[in-house]
This record gives sequence, structure tokens and C-alpha cells, in this order.
Amino acid sequence: MEDYKFLFKVVLVGNAGVGKTCLVRRFTQGLFPPGQGATIGVDFMIKTVEVDGEKVKLQIWDTAGQERFRSITQSYYRSAHALILVYDISCQPTFDCLPDWLREIEEYANNKVLRILVGNKTDREDREIPRHIGEDFAQRHGMYFLETSAKEAENVERLFMEIAVELMEQAKCKELPKYDGSLGPINGKTTSVGDSGCCLRS
Amino acid sequence: MSLSLLLEKYDVSTEEGLQKALSEIEKEETEVDEALSGALSRACVLEGRLRSASQAYTKLGEVKADAQEAANMVDRTAALAKDVSAKVRQLDLARSRVAECQRRVHDLIDLQLCSAGVEAAIKAHDYETGAGHVARFLSMDPGSVAAARARGAADPRDAMAKAADTLRDHLVRKFEEAARKDDAASVERLFKLFPQIGRAEEGVELLAKYLAAQAEVTIRRASVVSDANSDAAVFADALTRVLEAAAAAVERCRSAAALHAPGLLPRAVHIIQPTVCSGARRVYRELVSRRRVQPGHAARAPLSALAAEPTLVELALAHNTISLYFTFLRRKTEADASSLNDAAKKASKDAIEKIIAECDLMRAAQDLLGHYLALERYFLEENVNKALKMATPQTGATQSSLVDDIFFIARKAIRRAVSTGSLEGVCAVLNDAGALVERGAAALRRWLRAPQDVLPLPPPPTLHTPSAAGVLDAAGSLAARLNRDVDAQRDLFLAHTNETEAGGEWSERLAAEACAEADVLVRSDSDRDKLQSCAAGLAAAAAAYRAAHELALDGIKAALKPRVVAWAEYIADPGVEPEEMEEDADALPIALDTLLESARTQLSSRSTEAVLLALLADLAARAEARILHHHYDREGGLVVERRARRLASWAGGNIPGARERVSRLTQGAALLALERLAHLQDVLAPACRLPPNLVRDILARRTDFKIEDIKRLKF
Repeated sequence: MEDYKFLFKVVLVGNAGVGKTCLVRRFTQGLFPPGQGATIGVDFMIKTVEVDGEKVKLQIWDTAGQERFRSITQSYYRSAHALILVYDISCQPTFDCLPDWLREIEEYANNKVLRILVGNKTDREDREIPRHIGEDFAQRHGMYFLETSAKEAENVERLFMEIAVELMEQAKCKELPKYDGSLGPINGKTTSVGDSGCCLRS
Repeated sequence: MSLSLLLEKYDVSTEEGLQKALSEIEKEETEVDEALSGALSRACVLEGRLRSASQAYTKLGEVKADAQEAANMVDRTAALAKDVSAKVRQLDLARSRVAECQRRVHDLIDLQLCSAGVEAAIKAHDYETGAGHVARFLSMDPGSVAAARARGAADPRDAMAKAADTLRDHLVRKFEEAARKDDAASVERLFKLFPQIGRAEEGVELLAKYLAAQAEVTIRRASVVSDANSDAAVFADALTRVLEAAAAAVERCRSAAALHAPGLLPRAVHIIQPTVCSGARRVYRELVSRRRVQPGHAARAPLSALAAEPTLVELALAHNTISLYFTFLRRKTEADASSLNDAAKKASKDAIEKIIAECDLMRAAQDLLGHYLALERYFLEENVNKALKMATPQTGATQSSLVDDIFFIARKAIRRAVSTGSLEGVCAVLNDAGALVERGAAALRRWLRAPQDVLPLPPPPTLHTPSAAGVLDAAGSLAARLNRDVDAQRDLFLAHTNETEAGGEWSERLAAEACAEADVLVRSDSDRDKLQSCAAGLAAAAAAYRAAHELALDGIKAALKPRVVAWAEYIADPGVEPEEMEEDADALPIALDTLLESARTQLSSRSTEAVLLALLADLAARAEARILHHHYDREGGLVVERRARRLASWAGGNIPGARERVSRLTQGAALLALERLAHLQDVLAPACRLPPNLVRDILARRTDFKIEDIKRLKF
């Protein structure tokens, strides 16, 4: 039996080619594999980190961005503790799709899920989405925000560590996790995005 | 001995002494004489030896001269031998050069023969001979030709290469002709010649083109679905036919090329695959439009969950057929490359994986799986909605079992997902099923949380004790008045309680079952981790059911509370007529028997035990507290003690581990029944279960014990 105190599921979503797999690889294996092929379905990685001397196991689900895998990826939203929504700062269309992704998250995910907006590829010279635009979007929708570069290993560790810290705080707040039957219905019409209490940590 | 010594030793002053000295001197003299004569006698021997030694020395000088001569001879021989072997080596070299020259001359002669032979063979349509010549040319030592050219001769390869090209052109033309005429025998015959002329790849490509063209006709025929409106899985069948035709073509190519050109199967598949893909895509398009599985399809909404089933089966079947085809390709490629080295094997494997990953059939499979999963989710939701509706408590109507329905549906969906042959699919369905199973738990929890005014078990008979009877009667009549359908409500509550328990067990069982059934689809450790993680999500639903079950048991316990209060009062009540004592003591066990009986018939044994254990503990605690509100004489104490003992023996006899729960009460009651304080130790042995203060408080309830005596007690 592995020794860990908390287990959290983190799911990455976002358009194809924004660098979800690279973020996961960089964090779990310290690699930046160039010429990465498109992810098929859902990939699964595990990394155990330590927060305040406690072992936290992060189960990271890296989803395919392509439309035809939507049925598969949607099924992973519900059990996620954190959802990382990724766009490419050098590709406007990936940013324009964010509202669609949010709709999907609202439809399928637990309404208490921790949501993080990530602008990836800060190493690129041809930035199309200024940082404050992404920040505004995140704030409007009650999400955390971070810009990263999987290639330069910038903010990647921080992204996942902050998620681990935040989730652990949440878990400790409701210590003795009692089943409260409030998990969002799989196809229910959950409304109201974001608890206004969200603050930006960037 | 010197003379002075002799003179000291012997007394020379006397005659006798002189005599002795003389004789001593004489003796010595004779000894010296003897020694001298001995030395003289050895002198001649020594002389003789010296002579012989000097003779031997002169002989040694001769031997040395001989040995020197011999050494010189050996040296000379060695030098000669070295010379000889050097010459032999030179000879060897010369001979091998001659042999090489001969071979090259032969090669050159052959080369001329070959190029002439090829042309002759082409003219005679004897391609086998021609190919044989080319094969001979290809196997020639490249040095021969280079050597010939170095001497200034015209490059003989030019003629040969030209001849080989001509042969190849002829072969290609002939092959294409044969392919057009669909002359399988000629195709096979000609195909075998390509590896001989060093163009195995070209041969495999030509063969693959021929087979692709052939397969196209079959596939076109196979992809036509005549009875498109049929409910049977006609599209999946058509897809199976298409892929069977494709597999036949691939297998034919492999068996033809296995011997002469191994490891080239991916090249052939690359040529055949587009034909297969377009055929499969045609079937896919038809399937999607006819079966109305396109998301957002206007006509999809009214599709009932029932009507979705055949389509789901068909989609799963179609997907499975495609995965089987891919497995077939992988296996055949592996077999095809089995005779090659590791690097070539890996190249072959990578090539086929690339073809599989990039072909349109793979996309079609992914699309099919997407449609399947969307529809399966719809099916699960609709069915669970229906099950919830059917199971929603409505007094007077019979309900179906929610848990049975939900798990039946979930199991069906999971099994169907396994039948798609896709682990991704299984994982996704496990996720969706987990959500729905939890919905069931939430519904049960909601229903069980509804306030329970009535005892969920048939009321146990009232006790013939005036004070207790009043309470129980009041509760019973209140319950009866509250709702005419008390029984129905009670049954429903109990049914739901049992369902929550079954739900917990089912969740875990279903998760374990899914892992076992989907194990055939697992191809790597990470696949297994993924499957287990998704199944764990389903097993986690068990926690939700357990929580609901706890809630239900709490409800039952709460509803039993008035009775427990009354029974506690009854146990502590000191007043009873002596003639009724026997009957009185049996009253509580009888009431508990009735309760246990009805609980056993309505609940699982585990739940029954849990409820009764809690009830007994509560009853004992309350009775203990009630005792402190009464005053007892010895008689009254005996009554209470008898009741407590009966309760303990009933508990011990019916519920495992329950006697412990009432042991404090039994000891307290025994205190009340003491004849005199001095017997206290008998009651408290072997262990005192009550705190000392409580022991004193209980003893103080006896009107006939003096407070001062009680205070003095030591224990």
C-alpha cells in the first residue's frame, strides 16, 4: 500500500495543441517531448508531492483536445477535484473557445471543483493574448489564473503545487469527509459559476 | 700431552710415578706412529685420483667443442625452415590470387552471358531464367567488375544493368497485364521474381495494388446494406464483411511475400488500407445517419432508452470489429517480421502502428466510440430517471427496487462497454455509471431522511405494567391515527433501508467485476492503473450507500426510542404484585422476541444486530438512570434484578456480544437486590463495572440500608 494521506484528481482540458500533455510531462517526468502526437482519449499519470510534510498523491488525467474524444473526456469531469483549463497564449482561437469549455465544465463537473485557467507557451515570441486579458477572463469566471511555459519549465511546478496546497486546505476544512450527497448530477443543470470568494494568486 | 703436563699429572719423584709417565709416553708414541703410517698409506690413493681428474678435464674440453658444433647446426636449420615457410606463404597468396582471378574471369564471362541471357530470356518470355541471371549478377563480387574496369575495359555492368532494367520493365508490364486480367496464377508467379531481381519492395507494392483493386470490388459489394431499416445489427455486419475482405487481402499478401520478402507487410498494408478505410467510412456514414446517433440530431431526442439498446449493441459490435481488425494487422506484421533482426522487427512494428494510428478507419473507430459513449450515457440517464420515477415512494402503489434497477442497468452498460473492445470506452462508462449509481444513493438518502413518525417495525406487545403500558398505548394509537397507511410506509422505509445495504455491496461487486471483465483489454501497466482508478470511482459510491444505510438505521433507532424509554421505566419500576412476578419478568424478553422476529424478517441480519445492539445499550443506560429515581425495599430490588437478569440472558442468547452491553445494568440491579451490605463484594466480583459513586448512589436507593453504612463501605 502506498503511503499518502490525500489523493486528488486533476483533469486538464482545453483545445488540441495547447500543450496539456507537455505540461503534464514536464511536471511528472521533467521532460519536454518535442513533436508530441495528439493524445488519444485520456492519459493517466501520477505524482506524489509533499505539502507541509504530508504526502499528497496527484492523479493527473490528461485529456485529448480533439472534438471526437469529447464523450470520453466528459466522463472524467465529475470525479475531478481540480480542473485545469489550458489555452495557448499565441493562438487566439484557443482562447476564444474558453466559454465553450466553461459551459461543458458547468454541465459535467461538480460545482465545487477547483478551476484554474492556464495560458501556456509563454516562451513564444508571437503572443496574441495579453496577460491581462486572460487574467480578466479568469476573474470574471471565478478561476485561478497562471501563465506557464512547459518548454522552459516556467510556473509548471508552481501550478500543480498550488493546486495541491489549495485542495489540501479544502480537504482539511471539511475534515472527516462525510458524504453529503451534493455531488453535481451528471447531466443536471447546475448553475452559478464560481463562488465569489475566489482570489487571484498570480 | 706435553711433558710439563705429564710431569704435573704423575708424581715423577717416585718410581711408580715415573713408570706410569713412561708408559703413558710410550702409548702416545705408538699412537703417533700409527697415525703417520696411515697418512702415508693414503697418499698414493690421492695421487691416483688427482691423475684421473686431470684426464677427465681434457675430455670435457672435447665435449664442449662437439656441443658448440651441434648448436650451430640447429641455428642454421632454423634459419632454413624460416625461409621455407616464407616461401610457402608467398605461394599461398599467389594461389588465392589466381583463384580470385579465375572467379573474376568467370564472373566477367557470366556477366556477358547474363546480359545476353537476360535478353534471350525476355525474348523467350522465360522470365524465371532472366531473373536467375539477374540474381547471379547481383550476387557477383563487386571487385570483379571494378577490376575489369580498371584494366580499361568497358564497364560490363552497364549492359547488365540495362538488361536488368529491361527485365524489370517487362515484369512490371506483365504483372500489370496479369492483374488486369485477374490472372492470379501469373500474378503469383511474376511476384516471386521481383525479390530475385532485387526489387522485392516494388513487387510487394505491385501485389498490394493488385490485391487492393481486388478487395475494392469485394468491399464495395460488402458495404451495401440492403435492409437499412432493419433492427438487426446490419451495419455492424456490413462493417464486419468489409474488414473480413480487407483481412483476406492482407493475409494473401503476407503469405505470398513471407518467403521471398519478409518484413514488407506494412508497405502492402499502406497501399491496401485506403481502400478499406473508404469502404468502412461508407458503412459508418450510413450507420450514423440511419441510426440517428449524430449528436444534436433533431430526431434523436424522442429516441427512447429502450429503442437505443439495439443501436448501442450495434455500435459496440462495430467498434469491436474494427479493434479486432487492428489486432489482426499487428499480429500479422509481427509474424511477417519474425525472421528478421530486432531492429527490422521494431521498424516493421513502428510502421504498422503509424499506419493504424493515421488511417481513417481509426478515426471512424474513434467517432463510433464517441457516438456509442454519448448514447450509452443517454441510455444510463434515461433508465436511471425511469428507475427513480418507478421507485419514488407513493403510498398505496407498489414500487420497484431502485437498487436492483440501477445496478442491472449499470452492469448491462459496463458489459456492453467491454464488448466494444476499447479500454477507453470501458473507463468512460465506468465513470458515467459511477455517477448514476451515486444518484441512486442520493435518492434513497432523501427518502430515508423524510421524518419517520411511525415505528418502522410492527409494535412489540405492550407490557402489563401500568406505567409503561400508558406510554406504549399512546404511541401506538398516535401512529395509527397519523396515517392510515402506516404499514405501507413502514414497509417502504424498511425496503429502502435494505436497498441501501445492497447498494453498498453491489457497488463494490460491480467495480470488481468490471475490472475482471475488462482485464482482457489491458495492454500495459498504465492501462491497468487507469481501469482500476475508474473502477475505484464506482466503488466509492459504496460509501454513499453506507452513509444512507447508517441514516436509515438511525431512523429506526429514533423511532424505537419511545419504547425504549417505556421499557427502561418498566425495568426500574419497583412495584409489582408477588403473584405476578414470574409473568412480569418474562414480559420484556417476549416483547424483545417479537421485535427481533419482525426485524429479522424485514432487515438483513447485520442490520438487525446493529439496531438491537444499539437498542440494548440505550435501554440499559436509560434503565440505569431510571433506577436512581425510585426507592426500593428488598422485594422491589429483587424484582428489578430479576428483570435485568432476564434481559441479560435474552441479550446473550440472541445477539452476539450483547450481554456485555447490559452487564452494567445487571450489576446495578444486583446491588439493589442485596440482602445486606456485607455481601457487596459478591456482587462486585470479579470486576466492578460501575464507578464507586454510582455503586453508593444505587445502594442509597434501598430504603433499608443506612447512608452511614454505605459511606463506610470500602471496595
